[in-house]
Amino acid sequence: MKHEKSTAHRGKAKRNGTGDPLGTNSEIGRKLKQYYDELVAEEVPERFMQLLSQLEEKERAQQPAEKD
Amino acid sequence: MADTSAFKDNLLEAIPGLRAFAVSLTKSADRADDLVQETLVKAWDKQASFEPGTNLKAWLFTILRNEFYSQMRKRGREVQDSDGAITSRLSVHPSQDGSMDLGDFRKALELLPEDQREAIVLIGASGFSYEEAAEICGCAVGTIKSRVSRARARLQELLNVNGENDFGHDAVSAQVTSSTAVA
Repeated sequence: MKHEKSTAHRGKAKRNGTGDPLGTNSEIGRKLKQYYDELVAEEVPERFMQLLSQLEEKERAQQPAEKD
Repeated sequence: MADTSAFKDNLLEAIPGLRAFAVSLTKSADRADDLVQETLVKAWDKQASFEPGTNLKAWLFTILRNEFYSQMRKRGREVQDSDGAITSRLSVHPSQDGSMDLGDFRKALELLPEDQREAIVLIGASGFSYEEAAEICGCAVGTIKSRVSRARARLQELLNVNGENDFGHDAVSAQVTSSTAVA
């Protein structure tokens, strides 16, 4: 027997056959993906490219002679 | 330095996912981008400790999550107050036909405690397995499962979408009733 939290018995803890409670058939699952996908689709701000370029340049400057 | 430039490309590729996770944690686009910036700097400094061939995305999400909680501790959990403010302003009005507005969903998601919110986002949206999510959050797989389950139940409650297509509510009630009564 597994230990089950008492909260799991409050009536909503479901065990549907699919084993994927957040799958595409779930309204919550669909909205969650929609919410997230909209965020992922946003354009990456320029500051992050600049930051990575700076980090790269800094590293190159610190190890000028080493190449492999 | 070919390795460095490959690492940089991999980080660039991971940024959209990191930003989405950061927004879901911080509930603020500005704070999210600061968090992503911090994460990228940390990841760069620690790149020697990343084992090539292992899951870079999970590694980055772990760094971001740790940074988020360390910032929260420094801020002395001012977040609690803003949570309260959001609670009092929240009014979710699911429409009669059961369709749900994305804005309502966002508000409801923001009402969840952090541990539940991160669990349901990692599993339901970021595409991690329960095992990966457990590693990212530094807890047991069973803990993640229980948090996801509670998060989902709470969202259903807030958004009034108990009667979902994917599982029969009656069947669940029956199951609960027939299982040992835990009153």
